[in-house]
Amino acid sequence: MNYERPELLDQLAATHVLGLLRGRARVRFEHLCATRPRLLAARLSWEDRFLPLALALMPVAPSADHWPAIRRRINLAGALPSDSAARRRGFSARRWWSVAAAASVIATALLVGKLTVWSAPEWRPVAVLAQTSATPLWRVERTADSRRLVIHTVGPVQIAAARSYELWALPAGGAAPVSLGLLPVHGDIERALSAEQRSWLQKATQVAVSVEPSGGSPTGLPTGPVIIVTSIATASS
Amino acid sequence: MLDQSELEGLLRQCAGGDAAALQALHRRVAPQLLAVLLRLLRSRAQAEDALQDAFIRIWQEAGRFDQSRGRAMAWMVSIARNRAIDLLRAARPMLMLEEAELADAEQLRVAGPADRAEFSRTQSALWRCLEALGAQQRQCLVLAYQYGLTQQRIAASIAQPLGSVKSWVRRGLESLRRCIES
Repeated sequence: MNYERPELLDQLAATHVLGLLRGRARVRFEHLCATRPRLLAARLSWEDRFLPLALALMPVAPSADHWPAIRRRINLAGALPSDSAARRRGFSARRWWSVAAAASVIATALLVGKLTVWSAPEWRPVAVLAQTSATPLWRVERTADSRRLVIHTVGPVQIAAARSYELWALPAGGAAPVSLGLLPVHGDIERALSAEQRSWLQKATQVAVSVEPSGGSPTGLPTGPVIIVTSIATASS
Repeated sequence: MLDQSELEGLLRQCAGGDAAALQALHRRVAPQLLAVLLRLLRSRAQAEDALQDAFIRIWQEAGRFDQSRGRAMAWMVSIARNRAIDLLRAARPMLMLEEAELADAEQLRVAGPADRAEFSRTQSALWRCLEALGAQQRQCLVLAYQYGLTQQRIAASIAQPLGSVKSWVRRGLESLRRCIES
Protein backbone atom coordinates (compact mmCIF):
# COMPACT_ATOMS: atom_id res chain seq x y z
CA MET A 1 0.00 0.00 0.00
CA ASN A 2 1.19 3.51 -0.73
CA TYR A 3 1.31 5.06 2.72
CA GLU A 4 1.96 8.55 1.35
CA ARG A 5 -1.49 9.00 -0.21
CA PRO A 6 -3.40 10.95 2.43
CA GLU A 7 -6.81 9.39 1.83
CA LEU A 8 -5.41 5.85 1.92
CA LEU A 9 -3.39 6.63 5.00
CA ASP A 10 -6.47 8.03 6.70
CA GLN A 11 -8.62 5.05 5.72
CA LEU A 12 -5.94 2.66 7.01
CA ALA A 13 -5.69 4.49 10.34
CA ALA A 14 -9.48 4.52 10.76
CA THR A 15 -9.66 0.81 9.93
CA HIS A 16 -7.05 0.12 12.57
CA VAL A 17 -8.87 2.19 15.21
CA LEU A 18 -12.07 0.28 14.49
CA GLY A 19 -10.13 -2.93 15.14
CA LEU A 20 -10.59 -4.19 11.58
CA LEU A 21 -6.94 -4.73 10.61
CA ARG A 22 -6.13 -8.38 11.11
CA GLY A 23 -3.07 -10.39 12.04
CA ARG A 24 0.09 -9.19 10.38
CA ALA A 25 -1.53 -6.08 8.93
CA ARG A 26 -2.38 -4.97 12.44
CA VAL A 27 1.15 -5.57 13.74
CA ARG A 28 2.66 -3.86 10.68
CA PHE A 29 0.45 -0.84 11.23
CA GLU A 30 1.63 -0.52 14.84
CA HIS A 31 5.27 -0.62 13.71
CA LEU A 32 4.71 1.86 10.91
CA CYS A 33 3.23 4.37 13.37
CA ALA A 34 6.58 4.53 15.12
CA THR A 35 8.32 5.85 12.04
CA ARG A 36 5.55 7.65 10.16
CA PRO A 37 4.28 10.71 12.02
CA ARG A 38 1.45 11.28 9.55
CA LEU A 39 0.12 7.79 10.05
CA LEU A 40 0.34 8.21 13.82
CA ALA A 41 -1.41 11.58 13.61
CA ALA A 42 -4.21 10.06 11.52
CA ARG A 43 -4.59 7.23 14.04
CA LEU A 44 -4.74 9.64 17.01
CA SER A 45 -7.35 11.75 15.21
CA TRP A 46 -9.56 8.73 14.69
CA GLU A 47 -9.11 7.57 18.28
CA ASP A 48 -10.29 11.01 19.33
CA ARG A 49 -13.20 11.08 16.88
CA PHE A 50 -14.57 7.73 18.03
CA LEU A 51 -14.03 8.44 21.75
CA PRO A 52 -17.65 9.58 22.36
CA LEU A 53 -18.84 6.06 21.47
CA ALA A 54 -16.69 4.72 24.34
CA LEU A 55 -17.67 7.46 26.78
CA ALA A 56 -21.38 6.97 26.09
CA LEU A 57 -21.33 3.55 27.76
CA MET A 58 -22.52 3.40 31.35
CA PRO A 59 -19.48 3.01 33.66
CA VAL A 60 -19.24 -0.27 35.58
CA ALA A 61 -17.39 -0.52 38.90
CA PRO A 62 -14.64 -3.14 38.87
CA SER A 63 -14.73 -5.72 41.66
CA ALA A 64 -13.21 -4.72 45.01
CA ASP A 65 -10.02 -6.74 44.49
CA HIS A 66 -9.27 -5.21 41.08
CA TRP A 67 -6.88 -2.51 42.24
CA PRO A 68 -5.05 -4.76 44.77
CA ALA A 69 -4.46 -7.26 41.93
CA ILE A 70 -2.93 -4.56 39.71
CA ARG A 71 -0.84 -3.44 42.64
CA ARG A 72 0.51 -6.95 43.14
CA ARG A 73 1.29 -7.23 39.46
CA ILE A 74 3.32 -4.06 39.30
CA ASN A 75 5.15 -5.28 42.36
CA LEU A 76 4.80 -2.22 44.46
CA ALA A 77 4.30 -3.92 47.79
CA GLY A 78 4.59 -0.86 49.99
CA ALA A 79 8.26 -0.20 49.29
CA LEU A 80 8.31 2.92 47.12
CA PRO A 81 8.83 6.22 48.90
CA SER A 82 6.01 7.78 46.87
CA ASP A 83 3.72 5.05 48.15
CA SER A 84 4.50 5.55 51.84
CA ALA A 85 4.06 9.28 51.33
CA ALA A 86 0.69 8.55 49.77
CA ARG A 87 -0.26 6.43 52.76
CA ARG A 88 0.74 9.16 55.18
CA ARG A 89 -1.35 11.62 53.19
CA GLY A 90 -4.23 9.16 53.24
CA PHE A 91 -4.01 8.85 57.01
CA SER A 92 -3.97 12.57 57.66
CA ALA A 93 -6.71 13.06 55.08
CA ARG A 94 -8.88 10.57 56.98
CA ARG A 95 -8.32 12.37 60.26
CA TRP A 96 -9.03 15.70 58.65
CA TRP A 97 -12.13 14.23 57.09
CA SER A 98 -13.50 13.03 60.43
CA VAL A 99 -13.04 16.50 61.91
CA ALA A 100 -14.63 18.08 58.85
CA ALA A 101 -17.50 15.60 58.96
CA ALA A 102 -18.20 16.41 62.61
CA ALA A 103 -18.08 20.12 61.78
CA SER A 104 -20.41 19.65 58.85
CA VAL A 105 -22.94 17.76 61.01
CA ILE A 106 -23.00 20.72 63.39
CA ALA A 107 -23.17 23.21 60.52
CA THR A 108 -25.97 21.24 58.86
CA ALA A 109 -27.88 21.08 62.14
CA LEU A 110 -27.55 24.84 62.49
CA LEU A 111 -28.55 25.37 58.88
CA VAL A 112 -31.59 23.10 59.14
CA GLY A 113 -32.57 24.84 62.34
CA LYS A 114 -32.32 28.19 60.64
CA LEU A 115 -34.25 27.12 57.58
CA THR A 116 -37.10 25.63 59.54
CA VAL A 117 -37.32 28.52 61.95
CA TRP A 118 -36.80 31.50 59.69
CA SER A 119 -37.49 30.69 56.09
CA ALA A 120 -38.73 28.00 53.82
CA PRO A 121 -36.11 27.40 51.10
CA GLU A 122 -36.98 28.09 47.51
CA TRP A 123 -36.99 24.79 45.64
CA ARG A 124 -35.89 24.50 42.03
CA PRO A 125 -36.62 21.53 39.78
CA VAL A 126 -33.88 18.97 39.20
CA ALA A 127 -35.81 16.30 37.31
CA VAL A 128 -39.02 14.36 37.05
CA LEU A 129 -38.11 10.69 37.16
CA ALA A 130 -40.17 8.39 34.98
CA GLN A 131 -39.48 5.26 33.02
CA THR A 132 -39.91 5.84 29.32
CA SER A 133 -43.42 7.13 28.57
CA ALA A 134 -44.74 5.90 31.91
CA THR A 135 -46.21 7.68 34.91
CA PRO A 136 -43.68 9.84 36.77
CA LEU A 137 -42.46 8.14 39.94
CA TRP A 138 -40.51 10.89 41.69
CA ARG A 139 -40.01 14.64 41.46
CA VAL A 140 -36.60 15.90 42.58
CA GLU A 141 -35.89 19.47 43.59
CA ARG A 142 -32.96 21.31 45.10
CA THR A 143 -32.28 24.61 46.75
CA ALA A 144 -30.68 27.34 44.61
CA ASP A 145 -27.29 26.61 46.18
CA SER A 146 -27.75 22.80 45.76
CA ARG A 147 -27.13 22.28 49.46
CA ARG A 148 -30.38 20.41 49.97
CA LEU A 149 -32.39 17.99 47.92
CA VAL A 150 -36.04 17.11 48.29
CA ILE A 151 -37.59 14.05 46.67
CA HIS A 152 -41.37 13.72 46.32
CA THR A 153 -42.82 10.31 45.53
CA VAL A 154 -45.47 11.09 42.92
CA GLY A 155 -46.29 7.70 41.43
CA PRO A 156 -46.91 4.19 42.67
CA VAL A 157 -43.42 2.83 43.35
CA GLN A 158 -43.06 -0.96 43.26
CA ILE A 159 -39.94 -2.45 44.74
CA ALA A 160 -38.77 -6.05 45.05
CA ALA A 161 -37.88 -7.41 48.47
CA ALA A 162 -34.41 -6.48 49.71
CA ARG A 163 -33.94 -3.86 47.01
CA SER A 164 -33.62 -0.07 47.07
CA TYR A 165 -33.74 2.57 44.36
CA GLU A 166 -30.70 4.83 44.31
CA LEU A 167 -30.37 8.24 42.66
CA TRP A 168 -27.17 9.19 40.82
CA ALA A 169 -25.75 12.37 39.33
CA LEU A 170 -24.15 11.68 35.95
CA PRO A 171 -21.36 14.17 35.32
CA ALA A 172 -20.89 15.35 31.74
CA GLY A 173 -17.94 13.89 29.91
CA GLY A 174 -18.17 10.34 31.19
CA ALA A 175 -16.90 10.56 34.78
CA ALA A 176 -18.26 7.96 37.19
CA PRO A 177 -21.78 8.50 38.58
CA VAL A 178 -22.02 10.03 42.05
CA SER A 179 -24.68 8.78 44.47
CA LEU A 180 -27.28 11.28 45.66
CA GLY A 181 -28.75 8.74 48.09
CA LEU A 182 -31.72 6.41 48.13
CA LEU A 183 -35.14 7.24 46.76
CA PRO A 184 -38.21 6.91 48.98
CA VAL A 185 -40.89 4.32 48.18
CA HIS A 186 -43.60 6.66 49.41
CA GLY A 187 -43.82 10.17 50.85
CA ASP A 188 -41.26 12.93 50.61
CA ILE A 189 -37.73 13.10 51.93
CA GLU A 190 -35.39 16.02 52.24
CA ARG A 191 -31.65 15.65 52.71
CA ALA A 192 -28.51 17.75 52.92
CA LEU A 193 -25.93 17.12 50.22
CA SER A 194 -22.24 16.86 51.06
CA ALA A 195 -19.90 19.39 49.47
CA GLU A 196 -18.77 16.67 47.06
CA GLN A 197 -22.31 15.64 46.08
CA ARG A 198 -23.21 19.30 45.65
CA SER A 199 -20.30 19.99 43.37
CA TRP A 200 -21.00 16.90 41.23
CA LEU A 201 -24.69 17.71 41.04
CA GLN A 202 -23.90 21.21 39.86
CA LYS A 203 -21.66 19.78 37.12
CA ALA A 204 -24.02 16.97 36.16
CA THR A 205 -26.16 17.01 33.03
CA GLN A 206 -28.27 13.97 33.88
CA VAL A 207 -29.52 11.93 36.81
CA ALA A 208 -30.14 8.19 36.85
CA VAL A 209 -31.95 5.68 39.03
CA SER A 210 -30.56 2.20 39.62
CA VAL A 211 -31.90 -0.82 41.46
CA GLU A 212 -29.54 -1.73 44.31
CA PRO A 213 -29.39 -4.12 47.24
CA SER A 214 -31.38 -2.83 50.21
CA GLY A 215 -29.56 0.16 51.69
CA GLY A 216 -27.83 1.16 48.48
CA SER A 217 -24.93 0.22 46.25
CA PRO A 218 -22.16 -1.57 48.15
CA THR A 219 -19.49 -0.26 45.77
CA GLY A 220 -20.27 3.43 45.45
CA LEU A 221 -21.22 2.96 41.81
CA PRO A 222 -24.41 1.58 40.27
CA THR A 223 -24.38 -2.22 40.48
CA GLY A 224 -27.93 -3.13 39.46
CA PRO A 225 -30.00 -2.29 36.40
CA VAL A 226 -30.41 1.39 35.64
CA ILE A 227 -34.12 1.99 35.14
CA ILE A 228 -34.19 5.73 34.48
CA VAL A 229 -31.80 8.25 32.93
CA THR A 230 -33.04 11.76 32.46
CA SER A 231 -31.67 15.24 31.85
CA ILE A 232 -31.39 17.73 34.66
CA ALA A 233 -33.59 20.82 34.32
CA THR A 234 -31.51 23.87 33.44
CA ALA A 235 -31.43 26.85 35.78
CA SER A 236 -33.84 28.86 33.62
CA SER A 237 -36.54 26.22 33.47
CA MET B 1 -16.25 15.63 34.41
CA LEU B 2 -13.27 13.68 33.16
CA ASP B 3 -10.83 16.51 33.34
CA GLN B 4 -8.13 15.97 30.71
CA SER B 5 -5.53 18.08 32.49
CA GLU B 6 -6.11 16.16 35.71
CA LEU B 7 -5.69 12.84 33.85
CA GLU B 8 -2.56 14.16 32.14
CA GLY B 9 -1.15 15.20 35.52
CA LEU B 10 -1.79 11.74 36.94
CA LEU B 11 -0.11 10.12 33.92
CA ARG B 12 2.95 12.33 34.45
CA GLN B 13 3.06 11.24 38.10
CA CYS B 14 2.78 7.60 37.00
CA ALA B 15 5.71 8.15 34.67
CA GLY B 16 7.65 9.27 37.74
CA GLY B 17 6.83 6.00 39.52
CA ASP B 18 4.05 7.30 41.76
CA ALA B 19 1.78 4.34 42.50
CA ALA B 20 -0.73 6.57 44.29
CA ALA B 21 -1.25 8.39 40.99
CA LEU B 22 -1.99 5.10 39.25
CA GLN B 23 -4.49 4.27 41.98
CA ALA B 24 -6.12 7.68 41.55
CA LEU B 25 -6.26 7.07 37.82
CA HIS B 26 -7.81 3.68 38.47
CA ARG B 27 -10.53 5.30 40.58
CA ARG B 28 -11.24 7.89 37.92
CA VAL B 29 -11.24 5.89 34.71
CA ALA B 30 -11.46 2.15 35.49
CA PRO B 31 -15.31 2.12 35.50
CA GLN B 32 -15.50 3.70 32.04
CA LEU B 33 -12.79 1.45 30.64
CA LEU B 34 -14.53 -1.59 32.14
CA ALA B 35 -17.75 -0.62 30.37
CA VAL B 36 -15.86 -0.49 27.07
CA LEU B 37 -14.19 -3.86 27.73
CA LEU B 38 -17.41 -5.54 28.82
CA ARG B 39 -19.12 -4.51 25.60
CA LEU B 40 -16.21 -5.92 23.59
CA LEU B 41 -15.42 -9.10 25.52
CA ARG B 42 -18.87 -9.95 26.89
CA SER B 43 -17.45 -11.68 29.93
CA ARG B 44 -17.01 -10.01 33.28
CA ALA B 45 -13.97 -12.10 34.21
CA GLN B 46 -12.23 -11.52 30.89
CA ALA B 47 -13.05 -7.83 30.92
CA GLU B 48 -11.61 -7.38 34.43
CA ASP B 49 -8.46 -9.27 33.43
CA ALA B 50 -8.08 -7.15 30.31
CA LEU B 51 -8.56 -4.05 32.45
CA GLN B 52 -5.71 -5.19 34.69
CA ASP B 53 -3.53 -5.68 31.63
CA ALA B 54 -4.50 -2.23 30.39
CA PHE B 55 -3.51 -0.62 33.68
CA ILE B 56 -0.16 -2.42 33.68
CA ARG B 57 0.40 -1.05 30.20
CA ILE B 58 -0.70 2.46 31.24
CA TRP B 59 1.78 2.26 34.13
CA GLN B 60 4.60 1.05 31.91
CA GLU B 61 3.92 3.42 29.03
CA ALA B 62 2.87 6.53 30.97
CA GLY B 63 6.22 8.15 30.18
CA ARG B 64 5.52 7.78 26.49
CA PHE B 65 2.16 9.50 26.58
CA ASP B 66 2.53 12.76 24.69
CA GLN B 67 -0.22 15.21 25.47
CA SER B 68 0.62 17.34 22.47
CA ARG B 69 -0.40 14.40 20.29
CA GLY B 70 -3.64 13.30 21.84
CA ARG B 71 -5.98 13.34 24.77
CA ALA B 72 -5.31 11.26 27.84
CA MET B 73 -8.70 9.53 27.85
CA ALA B 74 -8.48 8.66 24.16
CA TRP B 75 -5.03 7.20 24.81
CA MET B 76 -6.23 5.02 27.69
CA VAL B 77 -9.36 3.89 25.84
CA SER B 78 -7.15 2.90 22.93
CA ILE B 79 -4.86 0.83 25.20
CA ALA B 80 -7.87 -0.96 26.67
CA ARG B 81 -9.53 -1.54 23.28
CA ASN B 82 -6.31 -2.84 21.75
CA ARG B 83 -5.94 -5.35 24.55
CA ALA B 84 -9.53 -6.51 24.04
CA ILE B 85 -9.13 -6.77 20.28
CA ASP B 86 -5.96 -8.85 20.73
CA LEU B 87 -7.96 -11.21 22.94
CA LEU B 88 -10.92 -11.28 20.55
CA ARG B 89 -8.73 -12.12 17.58
CA ALA B 90 -6.82 -14.86 19.41
CA ALA B 91 -8.90 -17.55 17.74
CA ARG B 92 -11.59 -17.60 20.39
CA PRO B 93 -14.97 -18.48 18.95
CA MET B 94 -17.07 -15.38 19.28
CA LEU B 95 -20.60 -15.21 20.57
CA MET B 96 -23.20 -14.02 18.15
CA LEU B 97 -24.88 -10.76 19.01
CA GLU B 98 -28.56 -10.63 19.77
CA GLU B 99 -31.12 -8.97 17.53
CA ALA B 100 -31.59 -6.17 20.05
CA GLU B 101 -27.89 -5.39 20.05
CA LEU B 102 -27.78 -5.25 16.28
CA ALA B 103 -30.73 -2.87 16.31
CA ASP B 104 -29.09 -0.74 19.01
CA ALA B 105 -26.01 -0.39 16.87
CA GLU B 106 -28.06 0.55 13.83
CA GLN B 107 -30.07 3.17 15.67
CA LEU B 108 -27.24 4.43 17.89
CA ARG B 109 -28.96 3.40 21.09
CA VAL B 110 -25.69 3.13 22.83
CA ALA B 111 -26.51 1.48 26.11
CA GLY B 112 -30.20 0.77 25.90
CA PRO B 113 -32.60 2.71 28.10
CA ALA B 114 -29.82 3.18 30.62
CA ASP B 115 -27.63 5.03 28.17
CA ARG B 116 -25.62 8.11 28.74
CA ALA B 117 -25.94 9.03 25.13
CA GLU B 118 -27.60 12.35 25.70
CA PHE B 119 -24.29 14.06 26.40
CA SER B 120 -22.62 12.52 23.38
CA ARG B 121 -25.58 13.24 21.19
CA THR B 122 -25.66 16.91 21.99
CA GLN B 123 -21.96 17.53 22.45
CA SER B 124 -20.16 15.56 19.84
CA ALA B 125 -19.74 15.92 16.15
CA LEU B 126 -19.40 12.15 16.00
CA TRP B 127 -23.01 11.69 17.00
CA ARG B 128 -24.35 14.22 14.56
CA CYS B 129 -22.29 12.67 11.79
CA LEU B 130 -23.11 9.05 12.65
CA GLU B 131 -26.77 9.97 12.56
CA ALA B 132 -26.28 11.46 9.12
CA LEU B 133 -24.88 8.18 7.73
CA GLY B 134 -26.97 5.49 6.11
CA ALA B 135 -28.28 2.97 8.63
CA GLN B 136 -26.08 0.15 7.37
CA GLN B 137 -22.91 2.25 7.35
CA ARG B 138 -23.64 3.39 10.90
CA GLN B 139 -24.41 -0.13 12.07
CA CYS B 140 -21.16 -1.50 10.64
CA LEU B 141 -19.04 1.19 12.31
CA VAL B 142 -20.71 0.83 15.72
CA LEU B 143 -20.54 -2.99 15.59
CA ALA B 144 -16.82 -2.77 14.84
CA TYR B 145 -15.93 -0.07 17.38
CA GLN B 146 -18.11 -1.00 20.32
CA TYR B 147 -18.61 -4.73 19.87
CA GLY B 148 -15.26 -5.55 18.29
CA LEU B 149 -16.75 -7.47 15.39
CA THR B 150 -14.63 -8.26 12.34
CA GLN B 151 -16.08 -7.47 8.93
CA GLN B 152 -16.74 -11.19 8.43
CA ARG B 153 -18.65 -11.31 11.71
CA ILE B 154 -20.60 -8.20 10.85
CA ALA B 155 -21.57 -9.76 7.53
CA ALA B 156 -22.71 -12.95 9.27
CA SER B 157 -24.58 -11.05 11.98
CA ILE B 158 -26.60 -8.87 9.64
CA ALA B 159 -26.85 -11.50 6.89
CA GLN B 160 -25.27 -9.37 4.19
CA PRO B 161 -22.42 -10.11 1.75
CA LEU B 162 -18.91 -9.39 3.03
CA GLY B 163 -18.28 -7.14 0.03
CA SER B 164 -21.20 -4.92 0.99
CA VAL B 165 -19.98 -4.68 4.57
CA LYS B 166 -16.49 -3.69 3.41
CA SER B 167 -17.87 -1.00 1.20
CA TRP B 168 -20.23 0.33 3.92
CA VAL B 169 -17.27 0.55 6.31
CA ARG B 170 -15.09 2.31 3.74
CA ARG B 171 -17.72 4.77 2.60
CA GLY B 172 -18.98 5.28 6.16
CA LEU B 173 -15.50 6.25 7.32
CA GLU B 174 -15.04 8.65 4.39
CA SER B 175 -18.38 10.36 5.04
CA LEU B 176 -17.70 10.49 8.74
CA ARG B 177 -14.36 12.22 8.29
CA ARG B 178 -15.79 14.76 5.84
CA CYS B 179 -18.73 15.46 8.15
CA ILE B 180 -16.65 15.79 11.35
CA GLU B 181 -14.16 18.08 9.64
CA SER B 182 -16.83 20.27 8.04
